[in-house]
Amino acid sequence: MDLACYPNKTTFKTLKLASTSTSSSSIFVFPSLHKTKTLTIHSHKFPFPRLTKALSTSPTAVQTSPATTNNILQDQGGKPQWKASIDFKWIKDNKETVATNIKNRNSDADLEHILHLYDKLFILQKEVERVRGERNVVAKKMKGKLEPSERQTLIEQGKNLKEGLVALEEDLLKLNDELQREAQCIPNMTHPDVPIGGEDCSTIRKTVGSAPKFSFPVKDHLQLGKELDLFDFDAAAEVSGSKFYYLKNEAVLLEMALLNWTLSEVMKRGFTPLTTPEIVRSSVVEKCGFQPRANNTQVYSIDNSDQCLIGTAEIPVGGLHMDSILAESTLPLKYVAFSHCFRTEAGAAGTATRGLYRVHQFSKIEMFIFCRPEESDYYHDELIKIEEDMFSSLGLHFKTLDMASEDLGAPAYRKFDVEAWMPGLERFGEISSASNCTDYQSRRLGIRYRPSEALVPGPKKSKGNLAPPQFVHTLNATACAVPRMIICLLENYQQEDGSVLIPEPLRPFMGGRNIITRKSS
Amino acid sequence: MDLACYPNKTTFKTLKLASTSTSSSSIFVFPSLHKTKTLTIHSHKFPFPRLTKALSTSPTAVQTSPATTNNILQDQGGKPQWKASIDFKWIKDNKEIVAVNIKNRNSDADLEHILHLYDKLFILQKEVERVRGERNAVANKMKGKLEPSVRQTLIEQGKNLKEGLVALEEDLVKLNDELQREAQCIPNMTHPDVPIGGEDSFTIRKTAGSAPKFSFPVKDHLQLGKELDLFDFDAAAEVSGSKFYYLKNEAVLLEMALLNWTLSEVMKRGFTPLTTPEIVRSSVVEKCGFQPRANNTQVYSIDNSDQCLIGTAEIPVGGLHMDSILAESTLPLKYVAFSHCFRTEAGAAGTATRGLYRVHQFSKIEMFIFCRPEESDYYHDELIKIEEDMFSSLGLHFKTLDMASEDLGAPAYRKFDVEAWMPGLERFGEISSASNCTDYQSRRLGIRYRPSEALVPGPKKSKGNLAPPQFVHTLNATACAVPRMIICLLENYQQENGSVLIPEPLRPFMGGRNIITRKSS
Repeated sequence: MDLACYPNKTTFKTLKLASTSTSSSSIFVFPSLHKTKTLTIHSHKFPFPRLTKALSTSPTAVQTSPATTNNILQDQGGKPQWKASIDFKWIKDNKETVATNIKNRNSDADLEHILHLYDKLFILQKEVERVRGERNVVAKKMKGKLEPSERQTLIEQGKNLKEGLVALEEDLLKLNDELQREAQCIPNMTHPDVPIGGEDCSTIRKTVGSAPKFSFPVKDHLQLGKELDLFDFDAAAEVSGSKFYYLKNEAVLLEMALLNWTLSEVMKRGFTPLTTPEIVRSSVVEKCGFQPRANNTQVYSIDNSDQCLIGTAEIPVGGLHMDSILAESTLPLKYVAFSHCFRTEAGAAGTATRGLYRVHQFSKIEMFIFCRPEESDYYHDELIKIEEDMFSSLGLHFKTLDMASEDLGAPAYRKFDVEAWMPGLERFGEISSASNCTDYQSRRLGIRYRPSEALVPGPKKSKGNLAPPQFVHTLNATACAVPRMIICLLENYQQEDGSVLIPEPLRPFMGGRNIITRKSS
Repeated sequence: MDLACYPNKTTFKTLKLASTSTSSSSIFVFPSLHKTKTLTIHSHKFPFPRLTKALSTSPTAVQTSPATTNNILQDQGGKPQWKASIDFKWIKDNKEIVAVNIKNRNSDADLEHILHLYDKLFILQKEVERVRGERNAVANKMKGKLEPSVRQTLIEQGKNLKEGLVALEEDLVKLNDELQREAQCIPNMTHPDVPIGGEDSFTIRKTAGSAPKFSFPVKDHLQLGKELDLFDFDAAAEVSGSKFYYLKNEAVLLEMALLNWTLSEVMKRGFTPLTTPEIVRSSVVEKCGFQPRANNTQVYSIDNSDQCLIGTAEIPVGGLHMDSILAESTLPLKYVAFSHCFRTEAGAAGTATRGLYRVHQFSKIEMFIFCRPEESDYYHDELIKIEEDMFSSLGLHFKTLDMASEDLGAPAYRKFDVEAWMPGLERFGEISSASNCTDYQSRRLGIRYRPSEALVPGPKKSKGNLAPPQFVHTLNATACAVPRMIICLLENYQQENGSVLIPEPLRPFMGGRNIITRKSS
């Protein structure tokens, strides 16, 4: 189950509008930017470069030394709160490829403008260095013995240069911010095998099983749930709002069984289990490629804070190694995380939303991998195979799709969706999603690794012995999104007498129960 | 684990200040009152009386006809969003007892003022009725044939009476609102056996087990967790903030085992399992006796909405039967609910907050009972015995306290806390709480039942055949607050070699694991 990031041009425009707003309107657009709380977020793990130092480095150095531009926090409306380590040199050198990709992804990123800003930044930085140099020359001259009139002239010169420099440095800051805002819109590159085009261009990677045949009128999960007393949507609408629900009776046990079974299956495959915070800083959500502050955002924000609720455990797990350099020997890091997920489902009013299909809150088990760049395709394959294995053992009829370029969120390099047959809803419905985000998220979250081959062991730890750190690749994949799985199980395993069979693998996790029957009352 | 409601005079004052704020300052105090969304909340289940009808009923009728004053929603700053069915007649008739109780509970409720308002309301209602009668008399007179001058006089009279009536009715609405605000501060009555006094006046109900003896230096759960790689507080501080955490490795399995074991144990005792919404309307939180809008509130609110995060499943389970009349035959309704809980822990900066003891988010299984008034003491006893049974089977050393009057939240009639020995923290810590709220919550949530004895079966359903509905009693009790349970288990079951034994009952729920050992790496 995928939480769409930058899904289309409309939301894309929203982001840009929001980002370029002036501070006079910023109270509305960036409600939490005026908190001072955010200012101290990243000071622990990472040496925090002074702004002036960051400005004096060449922009081409960003590629190997991203720390200099990463995580510079600003407390002013309209400025980005953090900076992505975007590889501008590579983008400039591969302009045609990037332009084609932006077109293929149906993205609104304005590459011409971005490269123009980048060139302007380069020139401005040279100018700043030149003026700074002049100022140093003047300062040196003043060290010697001087006629009072000469000294006065130099003082004037120095003063003028200083004023000019201050103005230039302000321009530089603004330009940097604008470049960040614009460049953060550039979507990830796309895997060569991804079909180019819109929603309908997705290719089928695999089809498993077949739709069950029923010799009786098929019910949907809502009707089954009502008859078996498994949900309460009505009370939840009163207590919370529409699209909320209580699970009751065997539905609770089914949820627990799905969670326990999924965790144990994925752990068997070498993943480390986690539970995660479900409230996170908005900046972490942004760094993962989601837009907590856009209009019609999917993200619930917490009042009077810079925090929001997670829409997927991908966010806190991605953040687990934020701003750190991992040892190559620890890679791949494979996690399987249980969390509740919260989504506003803004704009989903018109879509098919019967029952548990589209809800504001649900339990999910998510897989997440941090790996070396050359291995991410391999692990993407591993993730989708784990999904396919698990859905097969539950006996579902499903197909795996290689999603088309226009259907990828900005962070994804490639995305496989699994759609399972839901007999009651009479259609295939998305039950999981596996994305390779390559270095899109790691460049924002600041997650790198130090290749080990170049590391020369010795008593003296000098930087010369260390290979330069590189950005890891990140991948995420749904192991089990509980409500949609409950839809599949109820609708596919319904019996003529109104009962529902529990698939074999889940029975040990339901105290041996093998069937859900009507209550006697 | 208890989420304190109206815990002391300070927060009490805050509530009153907030409630009496004028609309000019109400943007700050009631950020969500200006949404129109809240206006349609309760229109489904319950016939919604018009304000004028509510005003024309005698105040003494509130006791038997609470629908007339319940759930009148107002969209103006400073007015209560809903009305509690407070039994003013009983309060007036039992003034001395209520006054003593307010004093014993260290509450700031101003009984004299409340009764003064109530008397004023009574007089004003009489006056409204009188003027309304006069107006009707004038209207009747105008039906006959009249001299033009007489008619003109009557028209003038009618106009004046109408204007006077409008003004009186406005006063009546304001007075009603003020009475509600003030009267909602009155705490529940107190069980005669509750010790009167402050925190230290509690009595010990039971002590179980004894503190384990260790022949080696004891570690606290934080150190054990670090050595066994069970938590990550540092990453959570970066991603979310302080007092957030990731559970890792066996801690995740321990959480799942605790949840599964607890659910199965409580279900065995006839409780219906639930999972609940974790986002609820603020009004429901208030009706359960919590203060989502006070300064230093424990409640996280959702930005741009009238919703907030639950601090305990008590809230959504209490809301499950909101505004309904239950059949007596369905009582008692016993629920066991799994939810995540979210608390700001505002003001807890100074208190003992090492590790998992006081955190912003945790998993909890909560028991909740709706029952007939005469049975609530019995079920309170059942709830505490279930808690004691479960903590005993986990081999914990604990004591059960009958909490003192000043330590009760406003909704509680009586509260038992369980405090367990935490060897690493070297103290007893609260791990659960069981409260009898009698009709405090049901009078706010509008949950009644129809006694069956007076019901005469017949073809004609007339109101005369039905006994008047009565408010149910509600009780809530922690079955398992996971993080504090993890503290207990790690600290009590630590071994000299740094490993931790899993208590017997949990092993089947941890895939047979009986020990947590250090990772090999």
